[in-house]
Amino acid sequence: MSDNPPDLPPKGAGPLEEQAMTEVHRSPVLAAIFSLILPGAGHIYARQTTRGIGYFLLTATFLGLLYWTRTTHEFEVFTGMLPALATLAALFWLWVIGSAVAAASGRNFAPTLGLLIVLGYTYLLGWQVTEVNMRKFLTEFPDTFNIFRRVIWPWRAAIERPEELQIVATRWANPCPDDPAEMPEQVEGSGDELWITVDPACGEFATYAIVEGRGALQPGTEITVRGGGFDPNERVEIWWEDPIGNEFQPIFQSEKVNAMADANGYFSVTFTAPQFNTPSIAVGTQYHGIQARQVVAVGNPRLTQNFILAINRMIVTIFQALMATTFGIVLAIPFSFLAARNLMWGNPITRFLYYAIRFVLNITRSIEPIIWAVIAVVWVGLGPFAGVIALTVHTIASLAKLYSEAIESIDPGPIEAITATGANRIQTIVYAIIPQVVPPFLSFTIYRWDINVRMSTIIGFVGGGGIGQLLFQWINQTLWYDAGMAVWLIAITVSVMDYASGELRKRFV
Amino acid sequence: MLIVENLTKVYEDGTVALRDVSFEVPDGAFMVVIGLSGSGKSTLLRCINRLIDPTAGRVIWDGVDITAAKGEELREIRRQIGFIFQQFNLVRRSSVLTNVLSGRLGYINPAWSLINYFPHEERQRAMAALERVGLTGKERNRADALSGGQQQRVGIARALMQEPRLILADEPVASLDPVLAHTILGQIEKLNKEDGITVICSLHYLDLVQRYGSQVIGLREGRLIFRGTNEDIRKMTDERFKEIYGQEAERITGSSLVG
Repeated sequence: MSDNPPDLPPKGAGPLEEQAMTEVHRSPVLAAIFSLILPGAGHIYARQTTRGIGYFLLTATFLGLLYWTRTTHEFEVFTGMLPALATLAALFWLWVIGSAVAAASGRNFAPTLGLLIVLGYTYLLGWQVTEVNMRKFLTEFPDTFNIFRRVIWPWRAAIERPEELQIVATRWANPCPDDPAEMPEQVEGSGDELWITVDPACGEFATYAIVEGRGALQPGTEITVRGGGFDPNERVEIWWEDPIGNEFQPIFQSEKVNAMADANGYFSVTFTAPQFNTPSIAVGTQYHGIQARQVVAVGNPRLTQNFILAINRMIVTIFQALMATTFGIVLAIPFSFLAARNLMWGNPITRFLYYAIRFVLNITRSIEPIIWAVIAVVWVGLGPFAGVIALTVHTIASLAKLYSEAIESIDPGPIEAITATGANRIQTIVYAIIPQVVPPFLSFTIYRWDINVRMSTIIGFVGGGGIGQLLFQWINQTLWYDAGMAVWLIAITVSVMDYASGELRKRFV
Repeated sequence: MLIVENLTKVYEDGTVALRDVSFEVPDGAFMVVIGLSGSGKSTLLRCINRLIDPTAGRVIWDGVDITAAKGEELREIRRQIGFIFQQFNLVRRSSVLTNVLSGRLGYINPAWSLINYFPHEERQRAMAALERVGLTGKERNRADALSGGQQQRVGIARALMQEPRLILADEPVASLDPVLAHTILGQIEKLNKEDGITVICSLHYLDLVQRYGSQVIGLREGRLIFRGTNEDIRKMTDERFKEIYGQEAERITGSSLVG
């Protein structure tokens, strides 16, 4: 309980003292000379010390940056840039002199102009240092269309149908048999039945011959393969099978022979017989096979392996965030009490502890989780646990700060009121302190979990496990559809968490 | 009978809040304490139930020296003294019922209270207290969902749960508008008249002092400067009232006098 007078007026709350503007008139000439020698000196001479130091530091910074621009190889300096910067720096110096003269004679001097020079210098340099390139930005944007398109709507990578290769073959003779009865029979099927025919059913292969002293390829017999009963509007591959069973895809006009089935499942393709060296020991007519192959989807659509993987990793990520938040709470609570001013202000030792804890927490919090993750990966290796460690460290620091602020803002009134009812100390804690502290604690904790889900996706990029690691892999493999799925899952989860945590927190605050 | 003897309070920072204050409060009295803010009214009330420990002097209640009580004995004394605060001092996030029940903490088994268990008859008692202050049906609401006047009525119900023989009210209506002030003070007066509970209440509206107080004491800079009965207050002029409030009274109480 505080031992302060409850209804005394606050001390030292006198009327606000008006800022005394001391009117000093100094020699404007001297002010100008001082500022010419050292920018800002004129202001100090005119008793505007803070301004003087500020202007001196600004001018020094500009000159320093000018020197840096001249010497660095960090970026490409375009022609005219250095003179432009030098001019602006000189203009600023001149402006400082003008301002000093005005200050010495107690007048105002074009502050807007000074601001414009500062902004001009800063952005001229900034544009160049960060290598802003509007031409690239606009003209090379279409290159990303393919990636964008896939990432924005990646769902074709989420669903697949099991596929099966269906093959139908017919026979083709070489050389043409004398006896028509030995000609391979070509039969057209009906209905859904798969069939192909070849016309003519026999012929000559392409041969390599010397013509007028130069080698030339004599094309083989032109043949037309027709077929029916295929999946409409899907690709059909034509394959060749020689008498001893070797299979290859014939090449016609530098391309493998393929056909598209029409809307009714028919196709027709014409090409020349490939080059084929019949061994000299072969006797009589040789029979080759011509195949039409088509990959067809069979069965019901199902989720792809990668989609399932992404879902699995998303769940891992949510649990990572949960574990990190939980470990964080457990460790943050003791720290938060040690970092609460109202509890620690009593004696010098606790006050020192308060400052020490605050300092450590501030440092810890200012280091991004991704850096903790790099350390944790070295520590426990790749995987979700590393991510949990990284998030836990950051969570402790953040929650301890938020908790301690909640403790600091406890209303002492209820403590007084509960004490007045004759309650003992523990009852006072349970009825007056805990109800005040728990709701903000819960609220901050849920908020933190929400943040941790978001962060754990990024932590995966450096090996912290979860969906982030998967996303990073897929981006590196340029699997844009899969990467898109991961991005979508993250976006959905984060927005659901965001909404849910917002709704939950409303109930506690 | 409550006897305050030579009560003095000096805070750690050297502020003297009470200087040698002595007076008696007969049982069943409605005693009003008047004085400027900073005159020591709150300190005086808090010294009586030892929310603040006095530096010197004694408070004797029915022969028991409250200032000497410790631990269990002090808690037993406190539970018989209801306290109503200017800022209500409810646990804002807890329900109205929990706030009212917390007035009973001095009576019930501490172990049960830690898990928020109150026997059935205690809940009945709380509902009855809420009914008495006209808040039936509000027991499930969060305390901060109520208006200021309603919150103060919860404060009264909480004090009622203590089955008090004495109620200390520190500016109970200072945060409320004049109409509500009458409602709240009317309820406190009812407790005084019907249940015979002694009331010590600090106020700063003259008409309220005249209307409700059976006895009045005035404090200035920690000193007792006025003692009177209802009769004396009724005869009291604005000038005299201002005198008690000191030189600055005009600015601070100017509107209050008509309010």
